[in-house]
Amino acid sequence: MANEQIFVGLEIGTTKICVIVAEGRADGTISILGVGETPSRGVRKGEIVDLATVSDCVREALLDAEDKTNVEIANVWVAITGSHFRSFNNRGTFMLPEDRDEILEEDLQTVEINAKEVSLPAANSFLHTIIQSYHVDGNENVLSPVGMAGSRLEADFHIIHGVKTRIQNTLRCIESLKLGIEDVVMSSLASALVVLTQQQKDLGALVIDMGGGTTDYLVYLDGAIRHSGVLALGGDHITNDISIGLRLPIARAEILKIKEGSADDPDKSEGGIITLKNDPGFHGCEIDRKALNTVIHLRVREIFELIRNDIESSGEGMLGMLGAGVMITGGCARLRGIAQLAEEVFEIPVQLTRAKDVGGATQTFENPQFSTAIGLAKYAMAVSGNLPRESIIQKVAHRVGGLFRRKQR
Amino acid sequence: MSTVTTMRRVLVGVGNAGVSVLDRIAVASPGLKGLMVINNDAESLAASVVSTRIDFSNEAGEDLADGFLAIEEEYARAISGATSVILCGGLGGETGSFLLPALAARAKADGITTLASVGIPFSFEGRQKRELATTALEKLRALCDAVAVIDNDRLSGGVPSTAAIGEAFQEADKALQSSVLAIQGMLSTSGPVKITRTDLAAVLGSQGAITHFGHGRAAGDNRLHEALEASFRSPLLTIPGKGSALREASMVLLLLEGPSDLSFAEVQRAVSEMERMTGDRCQIKVGVHASAAPGAPLDISIIASSGTLRQPAVKKAGESLASAASTQPSPREPAAAPIPGEVKEVRHSKPVKQNPVKQTQGVLDLENYQRGRFDKSEPTIVNGDDLDIPTFLRKGIKLGTPRDTEKN
Repeated sequence: MANEQIFVGLEIGTTKICVIVAEGRADGTISILGVGETPSRGVRKGEIVDLATVSDCVREALLDAEDKTNVEIANVWVAITGSHFRSFNNRGTFMLPEDRDEILEEDLQTVEINAKEVSLPAANSFLHTIIQSYHVDGNENVLSPVGMAGSRLEADFHIIHGVKTRIQNTLRCIESLKLGIEDVVMSSLASALVVLTQQQKDLGALVIDMGGGTTDYLVYLDGAIRHSGVLALGGDHITNDISIGLRLPIARAEILKIKEGSADDPDKSEGGIITLKNDPGFHGCEIDRKALNTVIHLRVREIFELIRNDIESSGEGMLGMLGAGVMITGGCARLRGIAQLAEEVFEIPVQLTRAKDVGGATQTFENPQFSTAIGLAKYAMAVSGNLPRESIIQKVAHRVGGLFRRKQR
Repeated sequence: MSTVTTMRRVLVGVGNAGVSVLDRIAVASPGLKGLMVINNDAESLAASVVSTRIDFSNEAGEDLADGFLAIEEEYARAISGATSVILCGGLGGETGSFLLPALAARAKADGITTLASVGIPFSFEGRQKRELATTALEKLRALCDAVAVIDNDRLSGGVPSTAAIGEAFQEADKALQSSVLAIQGMLSTSGPVKITRTDLAAVLGSQGAITHFGHGRAAGDNRLHEALEASFRSPLLTIPGKGSALREASMVLLLLEGPSDLSFAEVQRAVSEMERMTGDRCQIKVGVHASAAPGAPLDISIIASSGTLRQPAVKKAGESLASAASTQPSPREPAAAPIPGEVKEVRHSKPVKQNPVKQTQGVLDLENYQRGRFDKSEPTIVNGDDLDIPTFLRKGIKLGTPRDTEKN
């Protein structure tokens, strides 16, 4: 355990529950030992609606992971999402006392507390308070102000908050399994951590994690998080639309979406007929490909447009500044034509992406569905931070270490 | 007919807050008579849409009491003949803090039932203002039959933290408006199920108790649930950190005002919903006022009181929840409201037989179908659109040949 640490990431998704067991290496990378996975039941739009069922599913996934990795899981890092999360940027200010001109570690905490002095809706509590940059006496973008001389310390934070009871539901589910919770992390944050390189964060990038029940997105610019959001829309909605539009049972619609669906502009695609075979309890039928693609295209385009409008309204021209473009991950990243559509909407380069800087079971990290869970392990690694010098992660960890506060409950 | 009833009730807005609240009310319900504003700011008076305006502009240094003497006669004339006066305004400012008690005293002296709905300033407006407000509030409580208090600070739970300061004050005005409307509505209940003045005084009257208001309005087929939900969510009905105030309420007044097709089933459902929200020992009193034109929105007003309560001096039999819910208008009621009652009563008893079930079910089904598997989950609403409904349906796009796909 001296150099190697085991981190377990648990994501309770709308489609699947997955447990990633990863090993933190001395060189700052993580290596995946194995993945436990079960289809998810009792989760809608990223949030638990049936506690008992979800508990069973989580237990199954944990056992699966323990079997595959031979690791006994005691503590987990948990990803959380839901439409109730909100975010905003705020600046905290702290004037140093007259008789002192050196900035101390505790001043950073004070300035963070000051930044959090905003009135949230009564039911909400803070999940993350993430530093963007410090300013000392008007000197912008100071990375580490401790030890510097100054009289006025300011700091910009990105603050994410959500409804306390709804966050607690996830925690309760995990506690009922007698597991320890290391920390709770916003899904989009975990995904971004693993799909973006430091360079991409500096250049600026929009990460869209489009899962089954929710679409989480997050904007990095100049190495800091500028904006984040959750839309309670995802792959399930596409399936549901197909089911309604083409009058198919949900399960059929899901298969059709995966096998044949495309988000590309239906006017450009070739069209044609898809024949669905007879099955017990299901009459075979013929589907117009154009109709199928129209349904998917309209829905995905709408989701992207909502994201675009939200980002534009939070900072005009922000999209144009994203040098690294848009990264799409999550289960829906596997949808055909999604990158082209995203490019049309955002008008900047788009990549489909997955976990990077990760070793171990290839199948796992090559699948964009696991981005969030792997991101948890990486987050855990960064926060735990007993790393040798010189690595990029170490730098992140150093910056990040003080910034991601443990969630207080 | 309705003018007769409303003319006898006078709504008085005092000070800047009072003027803006009354303006809102006047705009929202153009037909409402008996509105009056008093302010020391001639400009705000001139801009007001309320027809009866009294200018209380006193010269610098002049005693406020002298200023009041100057307008007292005009005020007395305006309220003469009224059965009740509802004063509303913000405490803490000079005008409100002085005038509200003075006006209350005069109305009371004329033998008019006097109620007041007042706002306590935000704490960021300064301690001095709050102190002034507290003193004035004590005076008002001693003078009025009932005083509803809205602590602006309690509103901040409902106002997003990033809200502009102007919005915070607007929110405060809205809250004051809904409380005034709730009180006014409860007083004017002339429908088959009534809330009495004693009940109102019991809910608002006692010292130390906190009063909570809720108001919701909705039209359409699911109007009852939507209006109920909106009223339950009102910021003034929540205690920061504790959730709904209804759970701890010891007495709740529930008023349904709406179109004549308001059904008995709807009333019953509203009451049972309310029972679910409140504790076992909570006393629920219901008022129904179903005289608006068919298709008009349904308004639900809630006044709840938590903490110690002064029981009404005379406990009325038959006003309890059980009887209210089961009321076929009791034989006692028509006598209580002879003129407006006769029409409404008939309307009220008619739907009992036919309407309730048929109406709500048909529409819900359609909606469920559109929402598919999300039918029971929390809707994803962005910019007012229910995004669970397929995009192509909302955009009205026809799919190539959807029907041809079903080939055996």
